[in-house]
Formats: sequence, C-alpha cells, structure tokens
Amino acid sequence: MARKIMICRCEDVTLADLEHCVTRGYKDIEEVKRYTGFGTGPCQGKECLAPMATHLARLTMVEPAKIRPFTSRPPLAPTPIKILARAPDAHRFDDDPGDE
Amino acid sequence: MIPGNLDDDDDDESRADASGEIRLPATLESSGPVPATAEIAIVGGGVVGLAIAYYLARRGLHDVVVLERGYLAEGASGRNGGGVRQQWSTEINIRLMQESVDLCRRFAVDLGVNVWFRQGGYLFLARTQKEVARLEKNIDLQNRCGVHTKMLSPVAAQEIVPELNLAGIVGAAYNPTDGILFPWPFLWGYARQAAAHGVRIFTQTPVNGLAKMAGGGYEVVTARGTVKARRVINATGAWSPQLAKMIGVDVPTYPIRHEICSSEPLKPFLRPMVSELSSGLYCSQSMRGEIVGGVTLPGHGSTYAMGSTLEFLATYARRLVRLMPILGDIKILRQWAGPYDQSPDGNPILGAAPDHPDFFLACGFVGHGFMMAPIVGKLYAEYLTGEKPHEIFERYTLGRFDGGGDSYPKEDFNIG
Amino acid sequence: MPRRLPSFDAARGPALEVRIADSSVRAYADESIAAAAIAAGARVLSRSLKYHRPRTFFCLEGHCSGCLVRLGGVPNLRACQAPCSAGAEIEGQNAFPSAEVDLLGAVDFLFSRGLDHHTLMTGSSMLNRLANKVVRQLSGLGKLPAHAATQLPDVAERSIDVCVIGAGPAGLAAALACAQAGRSTLLVDDQLRPGGSMRADPRASATTQMGTGRERAELALAQAIKAGVSVLSRATAIGFFPEDDDGVLAVAAPEQLHRVKARAWIWATGGYPVNLPFTDNDRPGVIAARAVGRLLVDHGILGGDKVCVVEVPEVADDAAVLAQALGAAGADVVRVPLAQALGARGRSWVTAVDTSNGRVDCDLVAVAAIPSPASEGPRQQGCKVTLDPARGGFLVVVDDRGRTSTAGVWACGDVTGYIGPARAADDGARVGANVAGSL
Repeated sequence: MARKIMICRCEDVTLADLEHCVTRGYKDIEEVKRYTGFGTGPCQGKECLAPMATHLARLTMVEPAKIRPFTSRPPLAPTPIKILARAPDAHRFDDDPGDE
Repeated sequence: MIPGNLDDDDDDESRADASGEIRLPATLESSGPVPATAEIAIVGGGVVGLAIAYYLARRGLHDVVVLERGYLAEGASGRNGGGVRQQWSTEINIRLMQESVDLCRRFAVDLGVNVWFRQGGYLFLARTQKEVARLEKNIDLQNRCGVHTKMLSPVAAQEIVPELNLAGIVGAAYNPTDGILFPWPFLWGYARQAAAHGVRIFTQTPVNGLAKMAGGGYEVVTARGTVKARRVINATGAWSPQLAKMIGVDVPTYPIRHEICSSEPLKPFLRPMVSELSSGLYCSQSMRGEIVGGVTLPGHGSTYAMGSTLEFLATYARRLVRLMPILGDIKILRQWAGPYDQSPDGNPILGAAPDHPDFFLACGFVGHGFMMAPIVGKLYAEYLTGEKPHEIFERYTLGRFDGGGDSYPKEDFNIG
Repeated sequence: MPRRLPSFDAARGPALEVRIADSSVRAYADESIAAAAIAAGARVLSRSLKYHRPRTFFCLEGHCSGCLVRLGGVPNLRACQAPCSAGAEIEGQNAFPSAEVDLLGAVDFLFSRGLDHHTLMTGSSMLNRLANKVVRQLSGLGKLPAHAATQLPDVAERSIDVCVIGAGPAGLAAALACAQAGRSTLLVDDQLRPGGSMRADPRASATTQMGTGRERAELALAQAIKAGVSVLSRATAIGFFPEDDDGVLAVAAPEQLHRVKARAWIWATGGYPVNLPFTDNDRPGVIAARAVGRLLVDHGILGGDKVCVVEVPEVADDAAVLAQALGAAGADVVRVPLAQALGARGRSWVTAVDTSNGRVDCDLVAVAAIPSPASEGPRQQGCKVTLDPARGGFLVVVDDRGRTSTAGVWACGDVTGYIGPARAADDGARVGANVAGSL
C-alpha cells in the first residue's frame, strides 16, 4: 500500500486531499465535502465528520466552535427501499395499483 | 502515468490571462472586501451565474464580480439530479439543449474538470394512451429538429432496462443521446476558469441592498462592502424575486420544493435515466454508482423550506419498487431537496427588466436550469459583449407578463 | 492471530456453521457474522472506491463502512450487524479476482501522492471519454440483489410519553428512570443486542460486583424491561419528519417500519469510534479500540496476540483498562501515544507500527480515539451542536437538566460530549428523571 493518512474511509479522502482542497479555496465544510467527497459514502460522515472538521479548523485557522457540521439528512442509516415503500405517508397517484 | 496529480498545479499556469499574470490557485474568496467597482456584478454563484461569468471572461470581459450568498453549490445547482435531455415539446428548447449537450460533452477538456457526462439516454414511460399521444407529438417535433427520439414498445424498453416491471406500461420514448452529469464539478470548472481570467468570486457574501444610481449603474450592497457596477445580472434562481424587489421590479416566479434522494453505490447496471410520466418519478445511476431519483409530490404549494419528508421517501420507494422490483433490498443513503423555480407560463425569464436596461434576469427555469446553463451562459455573454441578442432574450422578457410580448408556445415537458 | 477464549465458549449454546468466501467457519447464534469472521481469521473484505485499498472491519458497531459484504444475495450489508444463522453465506465486494488479491490495487501505487479525480485525464477528449468509461466500470460497491424483495408487514404506529434513542448505559438508565416514574417509554436501539458501550467495557464494576460489561448490559436491559420499558432492538431511528402535527420519528427494523410519536425525545446515541491520523491508518488490522474491547467482552474473542494500542491522552483511562484486560487474556500489549505513532506497516494485514522510538511488531492495532458524539439525529431535530475536539467532535449542547435547544428534545451520555461508560449511566438516570418530571 502506498503511504497515505486516510480520513474518510468510505471515499478514500486523505489528509493531503483536504489540504489540496483548502489550497484551491474551498474552505466551507460544505464545499470541502463536495470537492473531496468526504462524508458522502455509506457511513455519511459518522466516522470522518469530526476528524475532518477538526483538521479543517486547523488548516483554515478558525476556532473549532466556529465550524458547523454539514447538514444532517435522513435516513440516518442506509435504509432498504422495501421498508420505506410500506409507509402510509406515500402519496397515491391515480394509477396506484393498491397493496397486493 | 505520473505518480499522483495532486501537486500538479501546472495547468493553472497554462491558463494565465491575457496580461500573462499567473493566477493563484485559490478560486473562491470567502473573506476580505469586495471590489469597489465592477463592469458587471453577477448576484448568485450557481451554475447560471458562473457560466455567464466564465463566458464573459472568455470573451475578454474580466471586470466581473460574482457574489454568492452562501457556500458554493448551496442553491439548486448543488441539489439537482444532473439530468441533461433534448426531449422537449418546444422547438426552441430542443435546439437550445442540442447545443448545451454539445457543450457538456466538451466541458471536461475545455474547462479541465471532469463532469462525468454520460450519454446513456432518457427513457420516458407511458401508462396511458393519452401519455403515448403526448410523447408521439413531442417525438415528431424532436425528430424534425434532428434529435432521434423513438417510440418504443414496452418489450423494447425492457431490452434497454431489463429490470423494468412492464405491468401497466403501454409505451416508451427513448433518445440515446440524452445524458447525466455530475453537477458540482460544473461549478468548480466555471469558477476556476473564470477566476483564472480575473473574475472575482465571493462566497458567504449575501447582497443586502440594491439601488439604482442616478448617473446609471447600481450600488450592490454586501456585508463586505459595496460594489458600484454598471450592469447587474440577477442569477439568484428561485430567489430572483427577492433581489429584484429591492429595485421595485416584480418577478412573478415562485419556488416549488422538489425532494430527491440517492442510494448506496452499486456496480453499473442502469444505462438511461428512467422516468414515469404519471408520477414524475425519475431515477438514474450516477458515475459513483448511486441511484439518484425523485418523484413529484403534488399539493404542497410554494415554499423556500428545503427540509425532508417521509411522504417523499415513501412515495418514491413505493413507485420505484413497483417499477423495478429488484431494487427492493437496495438502501437509500440520503435525501435532500431543492427549489424548482416556477414561472407562470413554464418558460424562463431572460433579458433586461423593463425600465432597467442594465439589470438582467435569468430565472424561471422550472427545474431544468442546470442543463440549460451552458448554452444560456454562452448566449448571455455574447449578448452582453455587443453581439446581436439571441431570440430567447426577446421572447422571454419579463415584460410579457404585462402583455408586453407575443405569446409563444408553452413548454409542457417541464418534468424533473 | 485472533482466537476464541475457551472459557467464554463453554458457556454458549451449540456452534453452527457459516460460509465466508467459500470457507466453512465456526459461529454461534448469538454473535455477529463479523465476530465469527474475525475469530476465523478473515482479513480483507472489500476494496475502497478510489484507491482500491484493502478494506475490513473497523468499528464493529454498524457505523463505519469497513465490513460491508454481500449476504444472502443482498449487497452492502454490515457484517457486524448481521446475526449468524446456520448456512449463512457472505462474499466480499468490489474486487477482482478477490478482495485479497485485487489487480486494481495498482491504482494505489500509481497515485502514491494522491489522485485528484477532478482534473484527471482532461487533456484530450479521447482520453477523457476513456477515463469516463473506466471510472464508471470501477464505480460502485455491491452488485444488484439476486432477487426481488419479499412483501413486508404493515407499518407499526407507536404513541408514547418518552422515546429514548440508544440503549447504551445512558439510554438504558434514562429509560429505566422514565418507566419507574410511570411514563410510557419506548427504547430504540440499532445494535444486534442492546447495551452499547457496556458490551465493550472490560471494567468490572466495583459497586454491583458484576463481572463483565456484557453481564451488566444484560442486567440493565432486564431491569428496564421489568420496569415496563418497551424495547425495539435492531431498530434504527432513520429520521425525524414533519408529518403528523408534532412530527414523527421513523424507525427502521429489519423487516418493518415503525412510526413513533412521543411527548419527549431523549437522544442517548453515544459516540462513534473514529480513527486517528497516522500514515496508513486504514490498513486492515487497524481497528477501533472499543471494537477490540467488544470482541473480548461480548464475544470472548482475543483479536490478536500482540496488540499495539495507539491512543490520545484524553482516553488514557479507557486504553489502560483495555490493555490490562487484553494482557489478562494472554496478549502482549504495547501502548503508543498518537504523538509518537508514525505509521502502520504490513500489506493485507498490519504487521507493525513505526514509532519515534522504533518499530513495534504487532498483529492488531487498537485505535483509542475520543468517540465522536453521534449527533446526526439531534441535529436533524434542530438541536444546537458545537465542535469540541477535546470531547470528541460535534456534541449536542444541553443545559444542566439535559435539555437541548429544541423544545421537547433532551440528550444524555456521550452524545453530549465524551464522558465514558463509567459515568454515562448516572448521567442517563439524572436526565431521565428530569424528563419524567417535565411531563
């Protein structure tokens, strides 16, 4: 394995990737997320959000308390489509076949 | 292959501007004062604003400042599903999108940033004969414009998407050259190249005030100072009425929330974007392997609130698992939302505002602003640098809502 | 080499057999497939998306993406949350010809200094078209499922006084306090078995004289159930939605969706194990310290013979307890402060850690970082959080009673900043009593 410091395991984002991104001018955590891809994988940032945010605070010389997390969105864990399909909240279109 | 291209900023040097000055690698400015003056101030750093900025810079107009109120990609530009189609119901939209598709194909090489544009086609599924007739009418027009959409039988549609459950499907329209792109890199590409040519791009810089100046031009007031600009472009998308109101211009668009979600990444299997007309369901497989899609939820009125609902997840899941049953055990990873910028007649609003020949509008794209941005940006830059304006700037004026223009055909294929 | 502790297994039911990548492996009905795999010496499970680096277990709590496998024809399932059942078959993903030997691992060497996929191959349109094709073929983790899913039962609706999310030490204590105060209480937990960090804690409790964390977890659970707490296990709170006037919490269980309405919400979701920044920290065999503790305490599996604990000072107590327990189970343990850790060595499994004081040979690295507050749920309910690195990450801000900034929403335990399993129970009891009193 070539030597890397891995911060986001899901998307293979290294500390060097973060430094590169900040150098390019993408410094807001939402911009960093999109540019590097961190937090967009199967764990949705559970393992990497806090470490990334802490490194970002250091690299942009901002107090940690000033860094906000990226938006938390549902589902809070990967959820099978078949489970969601049963919710009564579904809008029924005119051609809905009803429950089999 | 070179061992790692992270350290490779040589390509920035190769894109020095006309004066020969090497630009710094940083593309965005999130602190520091805005310039005191600019030839053009573009309010809104989404794909439309940045595309215009890029094409202006390419045409030699560098004295441009872009003011984005939040982080890059905060608005609709960062929230859409990346669909790019030529299947429209009006000739002008078909022709515009033919050009835009061409620009999308060339983007990676022209701007040096990968956008993963993949032309896997768009498949529209009809469940009634009425929907079939609608598709056939559009196909006829598309074919006459040189777009080779075809009407397919359900069985032929299943050859393209073997996972389809054909129950209830009576026909499908398919154009193989429609495609999908990854939206965020468009913003990075346009921003990077525009900045390399001297355009200043500010993020975290909301515009708090706008005032017309007596001798011409506008004062654009931000928390980082005021820019006196000779011309202003309102590229704030769904928020266009708010900026326009500051100078007494009434823009009659309104936001409709559309929710969207993506699944875990899967090995590639789905070639086209698949859409079901009766529900507005659409889904496609991104370059990362995720199934990205949405469905139209009627009856929720207009709102800027971009929260997520269980109704969306349930509706989407229910329709999707009926349409492609093999996806039942696939997991949804994330849902989000973005605004469709709805205009009263389904057509966009472009060109200068009445009584404001130096205040320009670019809104009302009803959920397809992203795919139109490359061509609209190019045409706007030509217009603003002295070329004869393309007919869209005369056809889609704001004044038409006061009976100020001819009535043109309404686009009826404004689906996600 | 990992091994099962005979004294632990003696107390178990009969063994059964599961298949892991074409090999038969001994397993037990009360453990996860990941545990069985580790005990049998399974190593690499898949390859990462960009660099195709070998990927395997890390947190063992269902929150990272290290143990994603294909199970029963379904892709991308977490082996650490999948129970062992006779005949279960798991396969690795995203590697050719196998996860152990993956030709595409060459990408990692070719881009040893890093790969900016944004600018890669934008020089010519022909190269770019090729790059697009190749990237698409390489993308994605698992393949489509083998079969369409079977039909599911209807959704269950719950309406209660208090919903507690997280059945670790804080959540169990909070739920118990609410139930004892006469409030109808639902406790939702996403793990195979409730207990949270207690099941990973080797401390013997001086007060209860209970032996292990596993026993304490089971006792706490039994107490809660006896007091009337309704427990939903293997159920994940997937989102708080605006439907139904005051909102509804959607909870996804393996074969059912639950819609929960409550007068008060208590988030006791604890913290996620996170990694520490040293070179090649993603090498297989570099596992969260709490995961190593969980293997030992909950499964009776010693993860390695020579364990190197890489730690930060804030969790020195936890690291010391783990090191002592591993030693008592027969492992050699070396503790290395992060500041001295230079990098992990090895190819498909870790073999050593380079430190500023020389090389430490090992067959397992236990990373002891401050667990990161699991605050996604509270954030989604609008609760204020603050980034505090010394307490793990984005902690939920609470007042001295345990109230968050959102009305009706409370939080306790590590999600409000790391306090550790020893103190979390008291915190939960205190906040639970406050919640019950507020209704």
